[in-house]
Amino acid sequence: MAVGTNCIGCEGSAIAVKSILTCGHAEETGPDWLEFLDHTADAGILVQAPDLKDLFARAAWGMFSLVTDLDTVRLVERSRIRIEASDRLALMVNWLSELNYRHVTEHRLFGKFAIVEICEKWLSAEVHGERFDPARHKVFREIKAVTFHDLRLQRDDQGWKAQIIFDL
Amino acid sequence: MEYDIRKLTDYLWELPQTGGMRVPARIYATEKMLPQILSDNAPQQAANVAHLPGIVKASLAMPDIHWGYGFPIGGVAAFDLDQGVISPGGVGYDINCGVRLVASKLSREQVAPRMRELVNQLFRDVPTGVGAAGALSVPVQELRRVAEEGARWAFEHGFGSESDLEHIEENGCIAGADPAQVSQRAWERGREQLGTLGSGNHFLEVGYVTEIYDEEATQALGLALNQITVIIHCGSRGFGYQICSDYLDVMDRAVKKYGIALPDRQLACAPVNSSEGQNYLGAMRCAINYAFANRQVIAHHTRKAFEKVLGMSAADTGLRTIYEVAHNIAKFETHTVDGSEMRLCVHRKGATRAFAPRCEEVPFEYQAVGQPVLIPGDMGRYSYVLTGTAKAMEETFGSTCHGAGRAMSRVKAKKLAAGRNIIREMEAKGIIIRGQSRRTVDEEISEAYKDVSNVVDACALAGISRKVAQLKPLGCIKG
Repeated sequence: MAVGTNCIGCEGSAIAVKSILTCGHAEETGPDWLEFLDHTADAGILVQAPDLKDLFARAAWGMFSLVTDLDTVRLVERSRIRIEASDRLALMVNWLSELNYRHVTEHRLFGKFAIVEICEKWLSAEVHGERFDPARHKVFREIKAVTFHDLRLQRDDQGWKAQIIFDL
Repeated sequence: MEYDIRKLTDYLWELPQTGGMRVPARIYATEKMLPQILSDNAPQQAANVAHLPGIVKASLAMPDIHWGYGFPIGGVAAFDLDQGVISPGGVGYDINCGVRLVASKLSREQVAPRMRELVNQLFRDVPTGVGAAGALSVPVQELRRVAEEGARWAFEHGFGSESDLEHIEENGCIAGADPAQVSQRAWERGREQLGTLGSGNHFLEVGYVTEIYDEEATQALGLALNQITVIIHCGSRGFGYQICSDYLDVMDRAVKKYGIALPDRQLACAPVNSSEGQNYLGAMRCAINYAFANRQVIAHHTRKAFEKVLGMSAADTGLRTIYEVAHNIAKFETHTVDGSEMRLCVHRKGATRAFAPRCEEVPFEYQAVGQPVLIPGDMGRYSYVLTGTAKAMEETFGSTCHGAGRAMSRVKAKKLAAGRNIIREMEAKGIIIRGQSRRTVDEEISEAYKDVSNVVDACALAGISRKVAQLKPLGCIKG
């Protein structure tokens, strides 16, 4: 499924929960580009995407789908984020860690992620979401950390794949 | 995975010292538990730890060993202070995750009819996590004092009693905390989380004493059959998680700087005496103190919830701290190794200190029976109170197990719970559960955990702790 091309509400490499739901892919198990890994102690996701921008955007969506029901998150606020790192693996960890940090310290939930530019060692992104509202939102769990354990970013014929394990 | 495992006794197994291992790896378990333990790579992780510079005697694993980040969970490793290393992976993300046991003057019959109300009150008064109302919001300047003073800070701000402090490992405050080594991010993550439980396997449970195995110890601890108890299981929250993350990065660079050969990058560490090692110790101790303060605040709110729901005074509910242990920690301790006393840096990751009778660290009234150890089980079965032994001092640097450990992933647990109403099933068993969501509760179903009684029995049979009492839950709040 090419999210961002044939979904209503998606532009460029943005991943928006509403559009995925419109496409009928956000079942209990998530859209078809997202798999939850069977890891005894912690939780992990396996994400596929046609390009690197989508891969990073979908990884963020996958992480927040562990945190909350993304269907309840309104996309009313927009933030710009720039992330730097020593290499691409660290870029993924720093990107997700930054979003988790903002979620925890600013009490925000994010539901749409667009990577504007991405290189080996930095990216710029636009994220959409809203303030946490206990009346409408459930936080299922806290992510203690985005880990380097078994972290993989791979390119194949289909595009890109990422595996990320979170410490819960 | 195939292991060359050798039997030392009926309850102790060894992976012999080979290759780059500096000492053997030893696993405490019954023969029956062994196939399950050997089915994942946690024993290999215990062997990997044996490669680290300055490790003393053996890399040890308790019967609840399972996979962890770098070091196995259920691992104990002690290092020489001059030659050895300190590793954030040997402590874990949740620095000073631990358990407090509180006992009351109340009987099951007095509290059980009001349990729903009590659980609801606790759920309101003890916030679980992100954005939850009711957490203390502490400015960073004040948080530095929390990091230096631990549970005493909470006591001096009106949370709990002086007697609580006497019944906490390290009296609720470890020396050597250095706030200058804590990142701005960690302060920010910790600012609004004091007095919160967190999610995952953290919980607050109201239970009662169901079995007594050791009359003398239960008397010393002030426990009796049918008595209402409270278990608080949580740690240093985002403050500790951030400190661990920050220093994994620092240690990754330190490994290269000091030329430390590692079988697994996640064992990243630095010499205890290096600037990186000292900085981590200073920051980690801040998180240790934060966790002590956190549980002190939660215990206070628990007392208030009991008084409110039961309409009783503090003197009538009589909630007092029996003991509080840490099970993710690294500490400097003195132990006897090959007949001589050594100052060591003992890492316990998913392992509990279990000091013997007459050790000076054990509170005065427990001197004859040894340090109390609290082993929480899953939300549907039971938890245990144990005490430390002389054999633990000889063999495990005064350490024992810490809990049940998951038997299945959250994905599998959720599948198993699908189509069932777990909260109602628990109610039918007489246990009232409140969680953030059904999903949280489903992931924590009893069946997802190993039976903690097997773990506790293995420790008792091996002689590294003594069984004192069993507690069963009546009500529980989950993050």
